[in-house]
Amino acid sequence: MTEVKKTIEYINERIRSGDAVVVTAEEMVQIVKEKGSVKAAREVDVVTTGTFGAMCSSGAFLNFGHSDPPIKFGGGEIYLNDVPAYAGLAAVDTYIGATSMSVSRGMEYGGGHVIEDLVRGREVVLRGRGYSTDCYPRKEIETVITIEDLNQAILCSPRNAYQRYRAAANSRDETIYTYMGMLLPNFGNVTFSGAGVLSPLTKDPTYETIGIGTRIFLGGGKGYIFWEGTQHDPKRGLGTIAVVGDLKQMKPRYLRGCTIHRYGTSLYVGLGVPIPILNERIAQSAGLDETQIKTEVLDYGVPRRDRPVLREVSYAELRSGEIELAGKSVPVSPLGSFKLAREIALTLKEWIERGEFLLSQPLQRLPSDSVCRPMKQAEVTPLVRDVMTKEVITGRADYPIAEAAKILREKNIDHLPIVDEKGKLIGIVTSWDIATSIGTKKNRLSEVMTTRVITAHEDEPVDFVARTLEKHKISGVPVVNSGMEVKGILTSEDISRLLGRRKK
Amino acid sequence: MKRKVFIRYSSQKAEEPILASVIKESGLLVNILYANITGKGGEILISFDASEAEMDRILTLFREKGVEVWETERTIELDRELCFDCGACISVCPTKALRLNQDFSLELNEEKCICCEVCVSMCPVRALRISSKL
Ligand code: SF4
Ligand code: SF4
Repeated sequence: MTEVKKTIEYINERIRSGDAVVVTAEEMVQIVKEKGSVKAAREVDVVTTGTFGAMCSSGAFLNFGHSDPPIKFGGGEIYLNDVPAYAGLAAVDTYIGATSMSVSRGMEYGGGHVIEDLVRGREVVLRGRGYSTDCYPRKEIETVITIEDLNQAILCSPRNAYQRYRAAANSRDETIYTYMGMLLPNFGNVTFSGAGVLSPLTKDPTYETIGIGTRIFLGGGKGYIFWEGTQHDPKRGLGTIAVVGDLKQMKPRYLRGCTIHRYGTSLYVGLGVPIPILNERIAQSAGLDETQIKTEVLDYGVPRRDRPVLREVSYAELRSGEIELAGKSVPVSPLGSFKLAREIALTLKEWIERGEFLLSQPLQRLPSDSVCRPMKQAEVTPLVRDVMTKEVITGRADYPIAEAAKILREKNIDHLPIVDEKGKLIGIVTSWDIATSIGTKKNRLSEVMTTRVITAHEDEPVDFVARTLEKHKISGVPVVNSGMEVKGILTSEDISRLLGRRKK
Repeated sequence: MKRKVFIRYSSQKAEEPILASVIKESGLLVNILYANITGKGGEILISFDASEAEMDRILTLFREKGVEVWETERTIELDRELCFDCGACISVCPTKALRLNQDFSLELNEEKCICCEVCVSMCPVRALRISSKL
């Protein structure tokens, strides 16, 4: 039971009469600290939140109207500024998703940029193809449109505004490029997303006031929550929402196309949810400060679904710009803009204070007990140890080149890992190294071998090693244990054999 | 005074150890800020402490070896119109030239910037650019 009991209707009455007390989630922290949650619940009617970050599961439905003679894009192809849009709806409807990439400019321009350009009122080239029917005879069209020319432009995203998100670091010896941005080698930096103290779902973590039909700030206009977000995972504090709103009302300041370097394109979305303070329980959670909001730092250097947790961390620590990791102080970057999150919470506050924005009674609360499951995979993830060649022929640095050439030829192999007297890997020689040494004065393997060897481990997934080979343009890697002893060798041939089997 | 010098190599000169020999002849302590050299030539940006007179001597040494060289004020430029103050660029900067201030706006300290360009690719909206006031 709660001491304070208010209803959304009562709060709306107060908004209409101009009496409602509206504060941002940042301001609420102070109020709850000073007055306690019961008093805060009595005094405050609404707490506004805000977040501004890259949300890849974003996109928009567009309707172009019919051409003359009419064309049916459904079953054909649609491009907006060369970015492929979905052509699996009726004649002239489409869905443009944030991560779709330009066929001419690649990652530099994507669906997120198309949405931003539309909102900016810029011209967008529409190119499409149909297969021609008796009722839709036309096969091709190219035209220029602006958002004004569209019948409907509806921002509609299946997953936005994660309750909180994991921070990222990288244990590998090389820079990696992820959706969490560039991660420097050997825990060189940490990145995190989520607005912390202003984060919408964090402020009502059991979704007492949030659900289907909740009116929100979306991209600078008004929008609605229409469902739980995909991958909604409330039990682990990782709730999400699916949102919808009229793109024509939105502002480019709060919807920005972006390129995450060597990862892909996305859309930065500004979103804010008003939390009606119906009782002291909600006042309490709406007043949580950043030392109380925790997340984990994960090792993105491990390319698996379940990445190792490096440590627990509070948003307050992340916000400070530096955290302790692996025994050193590491610089931290937010990925979302706290400045804009704050601006959104303030804007929403003003809208409500001016009586322009009323709260809505959710038709159904978001589920608070469902779980997010992993993909069901038909085959077990093959690991290096399942595919590698275990009988490895190794060489020594002082072998004459001619002898190594003979070994490679006779055994019909391309890679010769070089080990020291204790069996530890110190280099590798390929048939290419040997071929290019012919005619030079070199005669020992130590003179031609590569000493900075790229290796694999037995328990790594084969797909990861396939990417390593591609990235470094090499055709095989020695498999080593933690003591650098050679346990096997994995070549692109072994991998293609496996992939060939997969396709059957 | 800290000076920055930009050296452009032609394809014939790319293989010669020009920088190394200038360092040897002048006894200069050089910091390489940026280097991008392939068989087709390329560019190097270095910085060092030098007076006006020393600067002339060093530029002459480079010119004698047949490369294009000039003092540059090449800097990183922040486009305030594009930047939305996310802060993604901060943690990749090796010299802490980027930071968020009290009201969470991005600040670029040009004094500290070495023009390494790492932040350029981290920025999701291309608000950071190398400008070459050559
Ligand atoms: S170019 Fe960018 S990352 Fe490099 S020093 Fe300057 S501000 Fe820092
Ligand atoms: S990454 Fe780009 S948008 Fe973000 S703060 Fe840095 S310059 Fe601004």
